[in-house]
Amino acid sequence: MLQLSGVSVSYADGTRALDDVSLSVPQGQFCVLLGPSGAGKSTLLKAINGLVIPDQGEIHIAGRIHHGSGRFPVATIHQSIDLVLRASVLDNVLHGALSEVSAVAAMFGWFGRQREREACALLERVGLSEAHLYRRAAELSGGQQQRVGVARAFMKQPQVVLADEPVASLDPRTSRDILQLLREAARERNVTVLCSLHDVGLAHEFADRIVAMRAGRIVFDGQPCTLDEMSVQRLYATAA
Amino acid sequence: MNASLHDNAATWRLRPIITARTIIVACIVLVALGYAGRRTEMDKLAQLSWQAIGSTIGLAPQSQVGDGLVRVVGGMFPLQLAEVRETARIPDFDPNGLPWGAHLETRTTTQTRIDPQTLEQRSESERTTVLVEPYGYVLQVARLLLETIVIAVWATVLALLLAFPCASLAATNYTPHRLIYTVVRGSSGVLRAVPELISALLLVLVFGFGPIAGVLALGLHTAGFLCKFFAEDIENADRAPQDALRALGASKIKVLRSAVLPLVGASYLAYVQYILERNIRSATVIGIVGAGGIGQELKGRFEMFDFGHVGTILCAILLTVLTLEVVTGRLRQRLL
Repeated sequence: MLQLSGVSVSYADGTRALDDVSLSVPQGQFCVLLGPSGAGKSTLLKAINGLVIPDQGEIHIAGRIHHGSGRFPVATIHQSIDLVLRASVLDNVLHGALSEVSAVAAMFGWFGRQREREACALLERVGLSEAHLYRRAAELSGGQQQRVGVARAFMKQPQVVLADEPVASLDPRTSRDILQLLREAARERNVTVLCSLHDVGLAHEFADRIVAMRAGRIVFDGQPCTLDEMSVQRLYATAA
Repeated sequence: MNASLHDNAATWRLRPIITARTIIVACIVLVALGYAGRRTEMDKLAQLSWQAIGSTIGLAPQSQVGDGLVRVVGGMFPLQLAEVRETARIPDFDPNGLPWGAHLETRTTTQTRIDPQTLEQRSESERTTVLVEPYGYVLQVARLLLETIVIAVWATVLALLLAFPCASLAATNYTPHRLIYTVVRGSSGVLRAVPELISALLLVLVFGFGPIAGVLALGLHTAGFLCKFFAEDIENADRAPQDALRALGASKIKVLRSAVLPLVGASYLAYVQYILERNIRSATVIGIVGAGGIGQELKGRFEMFDFGHVGTILCAILLTVLTLEVVTGRLRQRLL
């Protein structure tokens, strides 16, 4: 379970990006974050991942306080394609296990056969084949690269996956495929997914729960069917 | 669009293209260049060049530059291919065991000498037997060139071994401490600032004549360049994959290896190729101060006015550099 209690984050220029945010996401839930740009969605994900230190509040993952250590079972999928494009597909997936191997092993790229087999299984799960294994990530399409990104995130064997607008740069059909894949993979492994999206339609289609944010605060928290058209218009209309 | 907006834009004041400041700066630059030109004999260069052009098209009787060029370039051809040595000067010479393709010739030379008794000039004919190896000098040049290339290769290896680990210490985003960054950057700057010919001169005094001084002089000088190039590439590498791996919990060194190295690998290879080429060119020069390689032979032949030999050496160097350019270019294409 992911639990946030009274989390606040302020940036150096005084902007209050998160204002007393409390949220509890049960294990295995696919939770979508909605809200206009600057609402605090990315900051919330960064705070959970430990890339931003909260001024106040606590974050618990599986009952333990999260301090942002790399060994915590949290993996991230980003909005831009952030693979190492000159490295092979296999290497990119194995990068998900970097926090599990020693520095010497990482220097020589030794991840062990077992991890390589796990990476192969994940690649097959996200719909890629043996032919893609040693191709450079740069040679893949945007959708295929995001599939590798999903495989890399699950390679860490996380309990929580944070997806920061993972389909922002993809066409509608590929976006659906990636979200479907993310939801299925998370359900199979009982992984909590916190995914920020801009497309309300996709949120309705895939989310178990929608959390809407505005000006660093949660303004809606409920099932997709309870988020009506008026609420959506209010959510985006008042944004600067 | 509002028409009044266009009317306002027509009245906006634009800066003049040439201002009084532009003219003053241009005048200062011209005066400075004129003064520097006098100091560096640019006027003489212009005069000699005009003289040479005039001589070429028949407007001037002769030219110092033209005559010099004809003397030097003309002396280089035909190229010296054969090695001719007096058998009397070859230790343990065995006429039955001549090198492959070599033959013996008897040459008669006439020398004018003064008789110490009568103080009269006398012509004396002397017959000497010489060993002629038809491509002996070409082979000697090839051997020396190989030594030069080996010096350059080892210098490049040394530069790589020094620069590679130092690069991350000299990159602002990966250095463990600002002091370490300053020390490594400063050291690489010092290595770059000392010309290899000067360091070779000093290292010859320390290590004696030979390739060691050459390898060290070139290796240390180019390590400074490689360290700077490598570090700047690390600093400019795409941030997105690095942030992604950091978000997955990878430490700095793991991010450097897994996200930065694959990104900068291709340009690293290009830098090493450039440094190898540069070292081969420089290795031909540092021999002049006794640091091994073909430069030593070039200097000796030049001082003895053996322009045929000099021509052979220069052609061999040119051929080597061109071959290297082609080979490394293809190698890079295959590796990238």
